[in-house]
Amino acid sequence: MVAIIALAYRGSEGDFGRLFSRDSRATLIDFALGFWPPAHDPDFLFSMVRPLLETVAIAFLGISVALIFALPLSFLATSPAVTASRDDRPGPARRISFLAARLLLNGMRSIPELIWALIFVRIFGIGAGAGVLAIGIGYAGVLGKVFAEIFESLPRSAAEGLASGGAPPLRGFAFGVLPAAMPLMGSYALYRFDCALRASAILGIVGAGGVGQQLELSIKMFDYHQVASLILALFVLVTGADSASQRIRKLLQNSAGLLPIFRAPVWRRTGGLIAWVGAGALAIRFLEIPLSELFSLQALRSAVSYVWAMFPPDLDWSFVSALGPAILETLSISILGTAIAAVLGIFLAYPAALKTWSERVSDQPNHSAGLLLRRVASWSARGVLNLCRTLPELLWALIFIFVVGLGPFAGALALGVHTAGVLGRLYSEAIEEVSGGPLLAVRSGGATDPATFAFGAWPQAFPQLVAYTLYRWEVNIRASAVLGVVGAGGLGKALYVSLGLFHHHRTLTLIMVIVGLVAGVDLLSGWLRRCAQQAGSSEALSTRFAETMEAQLEQNFEGGYR
Amino acid sequence: MTRGWFLTAVLSISVNALAAENVLRVSAIPDEAPTELQRKFQPLGAYLEKATGWKVHFVPVTDYAATVEGLAAKKLDLVWYGGFTFVQARRRTGNAIPLVQREEDAHFHSKFIVASGSKAKSLADLKGANFAFGSVSSTSGHLMPRFYLLKNGIDPDKDFAKVAFSGAHDITAKWVESGRVDAGVLNESVFQKLIDEKKIDVTKVRVLWTTPDYYDYNWTVRGDLEPQLIEKIKGAFLSLDYGKPEQKKILELQRTHKFIPTQPENYRSIEEAAKSAGLLKD
Repeated sequence: MVAIIALAYRGSEGDFGRLFSRDSRATLIDFALGFWPPAHDPDFLFSMVRPLLETVAIAFLGISVALIFALPLSFLATSPAVTASRDDRPGPARRISFLAARLLLNGMRSIPELIWALIFVRIFGIGAGAGVLAIGIGYAGVLGKVFAEIFESLPRSAAEGLASGGAPPLRGFAFGVLPAAMPLMGSYALYRFDCALRASAILGIVGAGGVGQQLELSIKMFDYHQVASLILALFVLVTGADSASQRIRKLLQNSAGLLPIFRAPVWRRTGGLIAWVGAGALAIRFLEIPLSELFSLQALRSAVSYVWAMFPPDLDWSFVSALGPAILETLSISILGTAIAAVLGIFLAYPAALKTWSERVSDQPNHSAGLLLRRVASWSARGVLNLCRTLPELLWALIFIFVVGLGPFAGALALGVHTAGVLGRLYSEAIEEVSGGPLLAVRSGGATDPATFAFGAWPQAFPQLVAYTLYRWEVNIRASAVLGVVGAGGLGKALYVSLGLFHHHRTLTLIMVIVGLVAGVDLLSGWLRRCAQQAGSSEALSTRFAETMEAQLEQNFEGGYR
Repeated sequence: MTRGWFLTAVLSISVNALAAENVLRVSAIPDEAPTELQRKFQPLGAYLEKATGWKVHFVPVTDYAATVEGLAAKKLDLVWYGGFTFVQARRRTGNAIPLVQREEDAHFHSKFIVASGSKAKSLADLKGANFAFGSVSSTSGHLMPRFYLLKNGIDPDKDFAKVAFSGAHDITAKWVESGRVDAGVLNESVFQKLIDEKKIDVTKVRVLWTTPDYYDYNWTVRGDLEPQLIEKIKGAFLSLDYGKPEQKKILELQRTHKFIPTQPENYRSIEEAAKSAGLLKD
């Protein structure tokens, strides 16, 4: 493993010396000092409002579109056995549609949102419509897959009963599977909304609406005051959405199911639906999305002709062979980035978890100064983790480009910092959840906090930490494929160039390469995860729902999936 | 029921928004910051509105290629193109018409710039440097510089340590000034503007080399626009008079004294350059 990371370090032109050189320090200090005071002239603040609202509206509509696509697809992609009675064999049509839906979902998922946005901007023109579709299609892939897995994981007795009573699959599904799955699906969709918000904050970089455009511009033009205001606003927005969705998720968990019999909850559901559709209508109007144009024959024709023009892919050897280094670079960025994130994540997870388990294992009374110190450490570590998480990789990349220069190393650092925010939080929650017995045993031997951590918690949590890290690697390969769009190395640059020059055949080749790379990493990491799990203790959480793990811990589902 | 009502409402709103007639949709390649483009366009837009009797709506764009697709998809009517994007639009649509250009655009140049402390004396000295172009689709920020680099025996893909696309001319200048890259290339008119407006520190950057003349920017319309309207637009541009204070302001924002007629033939050499530099494929 050390060898692989070392190779990745070389492959992404890693240079920590450069990161801590005097030049970089000066740039960083400039950057940090430039942050204060954040730009606050009324003109600029006012100009921020619309893009920020756009960002929210795009994320909201995007997730709504994703749900519309994901629901039917997830039904098709659910193993036919779920809605069949025990001794019934599903017909060939059902089997084929199952495979086709799975394949489609995987394809939608493997292409990063930013690439969808780049393509839609060209087909449907600049503007929020392209952003909404990009999130809609990309997220439909993820949602559809996770929904299908939820359907398959539920107890099957209800649907089986309906099927043996002669109900056709769709009806069996609607009454036997869907009601029980609804709260979980809602929860997951809400979690994805948070992600969509972060995604829509960067789509502006390629012209798909939202705050990204202004942010990129301010960073590139060294206007640090503006950058500070924008980042602050984004932070508030994402954190706000985070806590709001957590609250709704709690409500969902305690809710009375899909079809409650009391009048009040029925009204509440109807009200919620109306509010949702109304908000959607408002968002469409606000974003000035030309619906009639988007759904016109002309739009369909231009989409088809655009895709048609891409075929066949450019397989010219001089072009394909030149991609080799870019592929390696992308791979290196994702590996080094994940490794940096794992290390940073552990360092931050330890203090972040301190509060909870010092409360659990501490032999000191609650009011001691030590406890207060631990609390402070815990809260500040969580704050740092949140900040890392809030800014998407691409924005971190824009920032690191100024510290270490253009190239893959900036990309790896960006991935590292953003992912550290995600992993640190997952790690800390995994550490908090280890069983208390070994901790107390180590503690009663007179061990200090760090020692208790190293000998009591670490061995228990380890397999789970590995699983999370590998899972994030799968996410990071998607991200590292597009970092090149802003100049941070890898395949993204070639894609940006081929799109800019209308080299459609090359664009197709590149998309195929990216999809292949993503699928390859998915397979490899899935296999590694299974190995790690078999080798590890039985404490390890089920990794069956790789995509949902993050959501799972974030919202502390009790019993939901387990 | 409720849902149906909302959908109807939404549809009628969007249809109403589109039904407004006689709107001329204008855009420009984003070779400078979008806010700057808007500022530059405002008085010109008002002038065109008066001269043509059509409502003028400026569509801000952040992506060069999207302006080409926009014209082809009939979502844009009048676009400010660079020479290379015009060639792409012409090839894409077959009938896009270049109307007018600034007198400077008939003999345009790109400037290669380096930090003032740089030891480079000629293009050949840039081998091994970190280099910044503007946008991939830019004429003066990518195509012509690449063409002349190749002519001078430098293959940007092989001879530079790193090649970056800053996205816009003013950003390229900032990158060289700050030392983010060793050298960069940009359009002479933006460079002059940055110096005039003191947005760049002339003690920190110097010009290494200037390209020979070539045709660049123009205002292009969709080929299937009404001929009368096309004539009106063209006339409006050509009659802009630097002597009139009101119109002088418009021309100054466009950084010129006068617009002149142009034609597709002017851009042949750009097309040839793009082919020989490998940026255009048949």
